[in-house]
Amino acid sequence: MTIAATAGRTAINPRAAVLAYLAVSGIVLLLMMLLGLTMRLAQAQWIDVSPDFFYVVMTMHGAGMVGIAGLCSAAVMWHFVRRHVPVSTAVFLTNLVFFLIGAVLILGAGFIGGFGAAWTFLFPLPAHSGGLWSVNAAAAYLVGLIFIGVGFLLLHLDIARGILSVYGGLGAALGVKQAFGLAHGEEGPPPAVTASTMALIANILGILVGAAVLIISLVNLYVPSFTFNALAAKNLIYYFGHTFINVTIYMAVIAVYEILPIYAHRAWKTNWAFYLAWVLSTVFVLTVYTHHLLMDFAMPTWTLVAGQVISWLSGLPVLLVTAFGTLTVVYRSGLRWNPAAALVFLGVAGWAIGVIPAIADGTIAVNSVMHNTQWVPGHFHTYLLLGMVAMVLGFMTYLTNPQSRYGVAWLGYWLYLLGGVVFVLAFLSAGSASVPRRYAVHVAQWLPYDRIGSIGAACAIAGVLILIVRFFVGMRTAASAQDPSG
Amino acid sequence: MNARLLAAATGSWLVLWLPPIRHTLESDMVLHMAVQVPLLIMLGVLVAVVARDREPRWLADADWLGIPGIVAVVLGTSFWMLPRALDQAVSDPWADLIKFLSLPLLVGVPLGLSWRRMPPLGRAFIWANFIPKLGAIGGLYLGAPTRLCAYYRLDQQELAGWTLIAIAVALGMTWFFAAFVGWTPSCAKQSPRRSGGFLIAAVGGN
Amino acid sequence: MTRGFPVLLAFVLSIGIGTLAFETDGFRVVTSAGARQLSIERAPQGVPDAQLVDQDGTPFTLADYKGRPVLIDFIYTRCPTICTALGDDFARLRQLMGGTRAHAAIDLLSISFDPTDNRAALRLYGDRFGAKAPRWRIAAAADQRARAALLHSFGVVVIPDGLGGFIHNDAVYVVDAQGRLARILDSDAPDRLLAAAVQVAAP
Repeated sequence: MTIAATAGRTAINPRAAVLAYLAVSGIVLLLMMLLGLTMRLAQAQWIDVSPDFFYVVMTMHGAGMVGIAGLCSAAVMWHFVRRHVPVSTAVFLTNLVFFLIGAVLILGAGFIGGFGAAWTFLFPLPAHSGGLWSVNAAAAYLVGLIFIGVGFLLLHLDIARGILSVYGGLGAALGVKQAFGLAHGEEGPPPAVTASTMALIANILGILVGAAVLIISLVNLYVPSFTFNALAAKNLIYYFGHTFINVTIYMAVIAVYEILPIYAHRAWKTNWAFYLAWVLSTVFVLTVYTHHLLMDFAMPTWTLVAGQVISWLSGLPVLLVTAFGTLTVVYRSGLRWNPAAALVFLGVAGWAIGVIPAIADGTIAVNSVMHNTQWVPGHFHTYLLLGMVAMVLGFMTYLTNPQSRYGVAWLGYWLYLLGGVVFVLAFLSAGSASVPRRYAVHVAQWLPYDRIGSIGAACAIAGVLILIVRFFVGMRTAASAQDPSG
Repeated sequence: MNARLLAAATGSWLVLWLPPIRHTLESDMVLHMAVQVPLLIMLGVLVAVVARDREPRWLADADWLGIPGIVAVVLGTSFWMLPRALDQAVSDPWADLIKFLSLPLLVGVPLGLSWRRMPPLGRAFIWANFIPKLGAIGGLYLGAPTRLCAYYRLDQQELAGWTLIAIAVALGMTWFFAAFVGWTPSCAKQSPRRSGGFLIAAVGGN
Repeated sequence: MTRGFPVLLAFVLSIGIGTLAFETDGFRVVTSAGARQLSIERAPQGVPDAQLVDQDGTPFTLADYKGRPVLIDFIYTRCPTICTALGDDFARLRQLMGGTRAHAAIDLLSISFDPTDNRAALRLYGDRFGAKAPRWRIAAAADQRARAALLHSFGVVVIPDGLGGFIHNDAVYVVDAQGRLARILDSDAPDRLLAAAVQVAAP
């Protein structure tokens, strides 16, 4: 009767679908990393890139990375949540198809149409290209985002349907009762269900808001007399944009909850604090976005103060229970480290460390001098490259688990880790030396940071390349295999 | 029961068509868009509830997953959201008659017939499309520098914009909280035929 | 799913999208003002031979302008907002046209749709902006029928503003030398307005 039931009968192998997500993510991730490297090399003045093209590259890198972060972390979430609730493989694959259509439109808008208004498409910039891109290029970009948004909307709605059919309400699936001591923590929903519930609540609301501002921007492109309050548009865009990218870590973290216990031979214990953390972070992720508008003096002061306070708190609850849980699972467990376990462990560490510069930047006094420096890309690259991506790479390594090739994987791991650390430290130190972000051309004094950053980036890309090639080699056998059990 | 419902629907339609009531509801943009148009659609839904048993078999078969019907609903409501169409309805009684016939018959009836054929994911998706669209249109009404309808004042247009945004936010919140607490009233599960059951069933998402 | 499904879907889609395309003139306009602008631009239309009286009490009709293009706006003299701006714009147009001979061939006409505007009110409004008949007439329809014919033919919608005044179109209408309504211009800066009008009326 339902789509889900229909899809259940068709012969799509859910495991193969997850691998397809990861394969697409792996390829796009590498390409987008190369675009990122292009920007660093251009700033380092080791290659020659025209400033117009720099902004196209920056826009594509941003949109591509945000999209792929959503895609690969959704694969992690879906893989584990479907053990607990009925979900549709057809809808899962529909999201991938929509993503690819959206990606083609976005890449076309950038590399053919020259669209370079940054991935945040701040209103009314897409309509004011100064002759650099056409209305149609801007529209292709916005429509591409709508495609990606619709795909994710379907995916989250389908998971919501599955969760509601088992748990009755999203509150129950989040573990609200357990959080407030009304039920035993041990009997709460599995961590994968709780995390998926938080992700779908945040992303569905975020996508609804994003859709509204995308429709408004599209209408404005073609009928310029229809305008909109630019500050209101910025609020809507960051409500959607912040939520979407922030939620990727909450989807990817499921890999930590599921993979580490397997290798450590210990269950991930949930208690009231775990559920309370997720309930609090659900509220925070939906209310924290104003820290992107701390420099907009026209915003009501209370929203900025709220943004500052919630920024300090936002990631902490889940981060703390996750970091603490990780340590309890690993401590004296006799865990034999392998690249998969090491990568998800690194993910928790990268996340924890990446939050520190974020808390600094979320403070109004710091933000007013740091927000337009490379401190900010430093923060979110720590958090995403060494946090979210590490968790996903761990998941990829875990799924394709040929023990014999651990040696190569360890090489990839260390190249990625060392390169990544150098790369983000170059950003952070440049930021603390007031090197601005989003500048295509750098002055001589900034070049050392750019060059060290470039070397780090190249090194990290080499490491990721090894891990992804290794994933592709192991993919064929992984499609038919069962999940490894340690 | 059925005959009484049908008579009630027809009677309400006639009452809405009565010039004093029609002109009052159309004198204000908010009343026109947020009261008269939804009421006309509801009347069609009511008719669908009555006619459900007599629906031809071929129609029920062709309306796979309710897709053609819901497409008619989307296109029909889009049409009557065009400022030009609203202007015509106000200025020309014949255009108004078309509105009075098309909203119940081409939007309300398909909604009433097709909604229960849609899978939960489809219903949720329609809601998820409808809510931001409503908000975006409201936002555009607020931002438009000129009057969109020749027959409505700028302040009415602004009020209409805020009203649409308020409805969008209210729908979104209701949807979210209903899903959060898992609220699916028993009447929606047990007798989806009861009028309005589709709305409630939709909110539960299941 | 039956074979009827694609047929029904195609039917609904084609009828629905066809109707939407019809109503929006091929997805180009969403407002009635925009639709009218587009239809006039495609096919200029004749104007009614309605009797008007200007601020000097001189009766005339639009047909009297034949051979000379005329820019028309619709006002009411008590109007505190748009009509004042329109009056300023027209005054500025006169100044701009004074410079060159080609421009001087365009006349201006402000038509009041307010039945309570008598000759004194018209004259007062004209004096505020230095309007002199016959190059810039401030006129009112001679009777109710003429007024209705003019408003209908130019597509001007007048509604009460709830404060005792009116709300109305603020467009500028170009009647060309052949006496046809040839273009409806959005109110704009006078120099751009003039350039557009010259392009239509006196090419």
